Amino acid sequence: MLKCRDINGLLHDYAEGLLELSVHKELDRHLSDCPGCLAFVKTYKETIRLSKDLRTGEMPPELQEKLESFLKAKLAEKPKTLWDRLRSRFGRGCC
Amino acid sequence: MNRISTGDQALIRRLKVRDETAVGELMTQYHAKVMGLALRLTGNRQDAEEVLQDVFWTVVQKIGGFREESSLSTWIYRIATNVALMKLRKRPKIEELPLDEELGPKITGEGMIAETVTDWSNLPDGAASRKEWMQHLEEAVRRLPPEYRTVFVLRDVEGLSAEEACKILNLSIPALKSRLHRARLFLRKEMADVAETRPIGMRSPHA
Repeated sequence: MLKCRDINGLLHDYAEGLLELSVHKELDRHLSDCPGCLAFVKTYKETIRLSKDLRTGEMPPELQEKLESFLKAKLAEKPKTLWDRLRSRFGRGCC
Repeated sequence: MNRISTGDQALIRRLKVRDETAVGELMTQYHAKVMGLALRLTGNRQDAEEVLQDVFWTVVQKIGGFREESSLSTWIYRIATNVALMKLRKRPKIEELPLDEELGPKITGEGMIAETVTDWSNLPDGAASRKEWMQHLEEAVRRLPPEYRTVFVLRDVEGLSAEEACKILNLSIPALKSRLHRARLFLRKEMADVAETRPIGMRSPHA
């Protein structure tokens, strides 16, 4: 027989559907006559459900443009060839 | 194992030869994912935008060394999580979460539940108060210590599998489970505290 004390430790696997069928059923039996644990489990699951809706991924378009041009500029300046490196070291201002 | 899709393979190849048009494509494909993740992990827009820039810059810089042992998206998520974690670690330390037992309902010496647990799971989806409710959840997520927040965001917000999240965070499955469970317990408790002090738009339990 499961006691209220056991629920917390089983809850993650219960919510993920990872418990063995016999344990899952035993937990269900406990919940059917323990309103406290039932409320605990329901609100745990509701927390998971609500969390999915936290997802928002909008990026301001001006930031997107800024970032894209920054990356393109960086991309264009690398990798430096041996010639580039020599020119930046010795060639500055000579031509 | 993750197989790299042909679309990703082509994109990676073009990034490796520094094809400029590939940058635009990379961003179109991943900016929303990275921005969402960065927002959830850092909890504020300014930090999230900085993370976003660092992530894409790191991707472009390091693509040459990407060995394609994981999918492009797993690799990008890993970079994003690390960049965000570095930022979070610079903030003043937030203490560890309490143990599981302390985050769940109180239990008597005989192992029975020792308190009345409010059931706030009946909030109707379209309710005006739902917005307020979600704000409470967002605030609670911000209070999670970084190590818990990353696990929670990758699993419950982004919906990644446990295996994928483990790869990204370099954690074992048991460690991941334990952090995720504790994060959920913490959030549930925070929401329960709100529900108990000022019930918002809930149906009566006997309705």
